[in-house]
Amino acid sequence: MSKDCKFLVVDDFSTMRRIVKNLLHDLGYPNVREADDGETALPLLRAEDFDCLITDWNMPGMPGLDLIKAVRADARLAKLPVLMLTAEAKREQIIEAAQAGVNGYIIKPFTAETLKEKLDKILGTAAK
Amino acid sequence: MLQREYGACVDALSEAFHNADEAAFFAAVDHIVHMREPRMLGEIRRLTGGLQKALERFSIESRLADFAEHEIPGARTRLLHVINMTDAAAHRTLDLVERSGPLAERVAHEAAAVLATLAAGEPEPLHVRLEQFLPAARADCEQIRRNLAEVLLAQGYQDLTGQIIRSVIKLVEELEQTLGSLTRLSGDVVEHATLGSDPAMAHGPVVPGVTQGEIAAQQTDVDELLSGLGM
Repeated sequence: MSKDCKFLVVDDFSTMRRIVKNLLHDLGYPNVREADDGETALPLLRAEDFDCLITDWNMPGMPGLDLIKAVRADARLAKLPVLMLTAEAKREQIIEAAQAGVNGYIIKPFTAETLKEKLDKILGTAAK
Repeated sequence: MLQREYGACVDALSEAFHNADEAAFFAAVDHIVHMREPRMLGEIRRLTGGLQKALERFSIESRLADFAEHEIPGARTRLLHVINMTDAAAHRTLDLVERSGPLAERVAHEAAAVLATLAAGEPEPLHVRLEQFLPAARADCEQIRRNLAEVLLAQGYQDLTGQIIRSVIKLVEELEQTLGSLTRLSGDVVEHATLGSDPAMAHGPVVPGVTQGEIAAQQTDVDELLSGLGM
């Protein structure tokens, strides 16, 4: 996957979006858009071409899990690489997210290395 | 029953009255009062007990009304203020980090150029390079130092938000005690609602001592779990 791939970062906290955006810049991905929950993310995903979705789980409006289910149910978005970046750390939740179709799952607080490792993995897989 | 309990006393009272025997008369009156005393005291005790309970209930209920009218909305405002303060501090810190990054990058980039000139081994361009590089590097490093000092100051929010959160914890404790007293007073058996563990529901960050169930403590736990699922 080329370094000019386009990301959508979804989190209700603007500080977290900014942190992720900065880390993506440092990793060489400058093309990043933001949304503050699933309801605002979904129209963006449908209207534009994204190469990767990074989403939080716990958000007012449409939570991340519902967003992922909506993405997987949409024929055009069904194969979009999705990384969940969340504080939700219960075993059954991680399984639930996996069943909903996430490609990667990172728990907060996280490190820049973890983000890089997961992105390399899911974007590499997607490039095949 | 009445005859048996009071007959003798009334006779003694009547006799003393007819004989105008003042001492015997009042002794008989005292005796009757003495006989009635335990029942009266019992009744008074029952009445004061009821009154005390009513007063206690009234005081608990007016405390609860106070919580609902003033203190809970106040706590909500205070917690929102905490979110706003932490948000402002985080953005301030991010601003400073974002401003410092390019300065550090520029110093590193220029230093690399000086090293390249040095490697080329010609003294004249090296001298010119250094004259350009050193003042610029000093200015950039001074700016980075100032930005770091501001990052330090931006962390002062923790003291203020900590105090606000503590005051809300105190309020929650008081509310818990008041509700506990009300439950005890009512003598009601409270059915404890059990929270369902719907895996599709978000619970927020793990809180030690509160969050129940099996938890992934770190990223490696998540990775192991997912690889176990074939991901």
